[in-house]
Amino acid sequence: MSHYQPKFKTSRRSLLKGTGAMIAGLTFLPRFSLAQEEKKLNFYNWDTYIGEHSLADFTTATGIEAKMDLFADNDELFAKLKGGNPGYDVIVPTNDMLERMIKAEMVIPLDHAKIPNMANIDKPFQDAAFDPGRKHSIPYMWGTLGVGYRKSKIEGGVVDSWKILLDSDKYAGRISLLGDAQNVIGVALKYLGHSFNSVDPAELKKAEDLLIAQKKNVKVFADDNGQDLLASGEVDACQEWNGDIIQVMAEDADIAYAVPTEGSLLWQDTMAIPAGAPHPENAHAFLNFVLDAKAGMHIADTIKYATANAAAKALMDKSYTENPSIFPSAEIVAKCEPSLYLGEEATKVRDEIWTRIQAA
Amino acid sequence: MPSPFLLASIQRLQGTAERRRILDNWKDNRSVFWILAGPGTFWLLVFFILPLGFLFIMSFSDKAVINGEVSITDYDYLTGITNYIRSVDTLYLTIIWKSIWVSALATVLCLVTAYPIAFGICFAPERWKPILLLLVVLPFWINLLIRTYALIAVFRSQGYVNLALGTLGLGPYDLLYNNFAVIFGLVYVYMPFMVLPLYATIERLDRSFLEASLDLGASQFTTFMKVTVPLTMPGIITGVILVFIPCLGSFLTPDLLGGANAIMIGNVIERQFKAANDWPFGAALSFMLMYATFAALMLRAFLAKRSAGVDV
Amino acid sequence: MADQMKPGSGPLDYGNRLWLKVLFGLIYFMLYVPIITLVAFSFNTDKRGIVWRGFTLDNYVKAWNNSALIEAMTNSLMIALIATIISTVIGAMVALMLWRFRFPFKGAYEAFMGLPIVIPEICMGVALLLFFNETGMMGAIVAMPWPLNLANIIIAHVAFCFPFVAIVVRSRLVGFNRQLEEASKDLGASEWQTFWKVIVPFMMPGLVAGALLAFTLSLDDFVITFFTSGPETVTFPVKVYSLVRRGVSPEINAASTVLIVITVVATILAMKLQAPEKSGKG
Repeated sequence: MSHYQPKFKTSRRSLLKGTGAMIAGLTFLPRFSLAQEEKKLNFYNWDTYIGEHSLADFTTATGIEAKMDLFADNDELFAKLKGGNPGYDVIVPTNDMLERMIKAEMVIPLDHAKIPNMANIDKPFQDAAFDPGRKHSIPYMWGTLGVGYRKSKIEGGVVDSWKILLDSDKYAGRISLLGDAQNVIGVALKYLGHSFNSVDPAELKKAEDLLIAQKKNVKVFADDNGQDLLASGEVDACQEWNGDIIQVMAEDADIAYAVPTEGSLLWQDTMAIPAGAPHPENAHAFLNFVLDAKAGMHIADTIKYATANAAAKALMDKSYTENPSIFPSAEIVAKCEPSLYLGEEATKVRDEIWTRIQAA
Repeated sequence: MPSPFLLASIQRLQGTAERRRILDNWKDNRSVFWILAGPGTFWLLVFFILPLGFLFIMSFSDKAVINGEVSITDYDYLTGITNYIRSVDTLYLTIIWKSIWVSALATVLCLVTAYPIAFGICFAPERWKPILLLLVVLPFWINLLIRTYALIAVFRSQGYVNLALGTLGLGPYDLLYNNFAVIFGLVYVYMPFMVLPLYATIERLDRSFLEASLDLGASQFTTFMKVTVPLTMPGIITGVILVFIPCLGSFLTPDLLGGANAIMIGNVIERQFKAANDWPFGAALSFMLMYATFAALMLRAFLAKRSAGVDV
Repeated sequence: MADQMKPGSGPLDYGNRLWLKVLFGLIYFMLYVPIITLVAFSFNTDKRGIVWRGFTLDNYVKAWNNSALIEAMTNSLMIALIATIISTVIGAMVALMLWRFRFPFKGAYEAFMGLPIVIPEICMGVALLLFFNETGMMGAIVAMPWPLNLANIIIAHVAFCFPFVAIVVRSRLVGFNRQLEEASKDLGASEWQTFWKVIVPFMMPGLVAGALLAFTLSLDDFVITFFTSGPETVTFPVKVYSLVRRGVSPEINAASTVLIVITVVATILAMKLQAPEKSGKG
């Protein structure tokens, strides 16, 4: 079985191999033969991002035992796999991270013949700009980024603009933003009327100045728990993912979600098979299983995100399919952009801007 | 500094003067020397120095440029010092400076709170000692993240402190998502690293010195400042090192407890290895941090040699 | 060494001073308030763990049935145990060597020994990740049966734990009067006997303190473990980190409470076993 070998120059590789051989007598064990894949699957996923008994159902259906490990964000996923795949078979990257991994050849092409359920995918998602012909991934869930807010604390009870988060001191100390460069700088650009993915230095400078000026009103840059801050009354408005806010909306009727009129981010999570996966056959079977109508329905029912699986969506009831927070209207979708992978240079520029904002 | 009389008594009572302690020459007892030195040296060389070497090479490298595009995973090794030049930019130096003063403050506070604890444990009745020691260390077997979230529950606007203050009619205070919370969190997290060395040193403190000092008419406070503290200095220094340095590189605590202004150098480094995918620069920043702390250590060693005191 | 304590309130009876007791109590209280809330919330019915909604033991049942969580806890305990034993032994040996011998480049050696303490954890974590991948150790060891597949993490933990132990033990050794050692040899004991019967008992508080420190460091480590772990080698802190992003669920509180109880019981046992040897200490 071939593990993903990082592509370093040969001379260095041989030097290190020599060192490795010298040190580790015990480490070079015989690898497993590929004759028959073990009935196991290592699934690397976000927390609570699968149906309650999906893995058990998968084992019943195929006899393959599935184990799930968790990661907290895309960067963690990438950092873990970059040095070599430690043994995961299926991963769940977001669209821009997938784009980056395709470029870096960290995911393998899919054999569509082994995934007949790809016919179940909703039409808009059957192809994607970041993965032409869906050669490397299947769509999983999609959604928007917007503002979660507490109706009773917001003047007018309704939010329709990024202004209260990005450009106003009305709720100073009672707002929170996300904690990463891409998403915060991106919505600042959207608010100023530019593209989420702009690389124009002038536009980026305007966004940076806007955020530095606004920083004193921001209570905290909350990476993934904005909805908790909202629920516990720590903040009155936060920048958050729609699914997170929907979960707290179920417990607290005073909380609402809105996608600002200036537009926002349209994200899509995908499933892919990383290079060096020890059980690629089982991985294909798992991807096929997830795209099944009933399995997809169970997943959507548990996690309440918008599914890209048309067959599953058909089985869901109205409270799900007509929920505007889960499935935004066409006009909102038109105003939202997907995040693109812009290359390493652009990532570095955004990171420096972010450091400057944080240090200001 | 202890008075000359006390210093002389210490040296006499301890027999061999500590500063001129006779050390065996390693050649006199080679087998014992190598047995003792072997495992530690091997481990350090292979599982620490060698990996660091890889990272060191990485800090002088850059991301490879293939076909005009910057590569995502490949690197050109040993291309020069561009990363280091970037790391001494004002932006990063400001952040490093801020990390230093936050860590220094946290260390001092840690010392001030840990010393009475260690002192109290040492002077407690014998059968209480292990229990008290255990009680100090116990909170730190709980996962850091959970403890930090528990701290959040204590400090937030509707947390326990504010609720308690609320019953007294005092307004809710902003105890969270600011520097106060970060420093408190750091002190809270690193307390045992200060208590344990202090305990080890105070425990072997010969109490007859304290008695002698009191008998000679010094007040409790003077005895403490002029006898106890200098004698326990090795433990204090060990504790300070064990706390200051990890504080400097910490990123979880400022991340979770700090507000919009909480960034420390640890957060910047962490981001280079994750979001920014710029491992060479992250490696360079890490080494800059290491050089700075190394300089501090050398300063401390230099000062220690110049002052009369017990060697650690 | 320590004189007999006069009962009552002598000038050195700090243990009986009110202000010290109050200070003591205050600090311990502040240390424990977050812990108590943690344990209290493990009985909370609220899913998010923020607001108190009712008492239940369900979380313990859920945690027990959560096999991934249990596996992570077991891994953490096993790693901490093995790493503590190895680091204490190695650390004590290094401390002895540094205390007793002089040799060329001793200063540089001491500096190197202090490196694992100086280095930012993330730096070491990434360095080890690179190292394990390059030498093929990552893939090979992860494929081995439990608990051998934890070897990567154990190696990493020992690497950063044993210098801490060395410092603590050395700190303790400084007070050792070598005349005792000489006396023992004069009375006919061999090197080995002197070591075990004279030096080790003296070192014991240092060893205990060092071992406690190593155990704490290993059990709680997140950064380095994160980078050196793979599938089926997840430890408790790493697992919790991926879960708490959504807020601490009471299930995790329950699991942490159980972990605390286990470690407390184990430590008390260890101390009880050690107690008989503590008599007649000088």
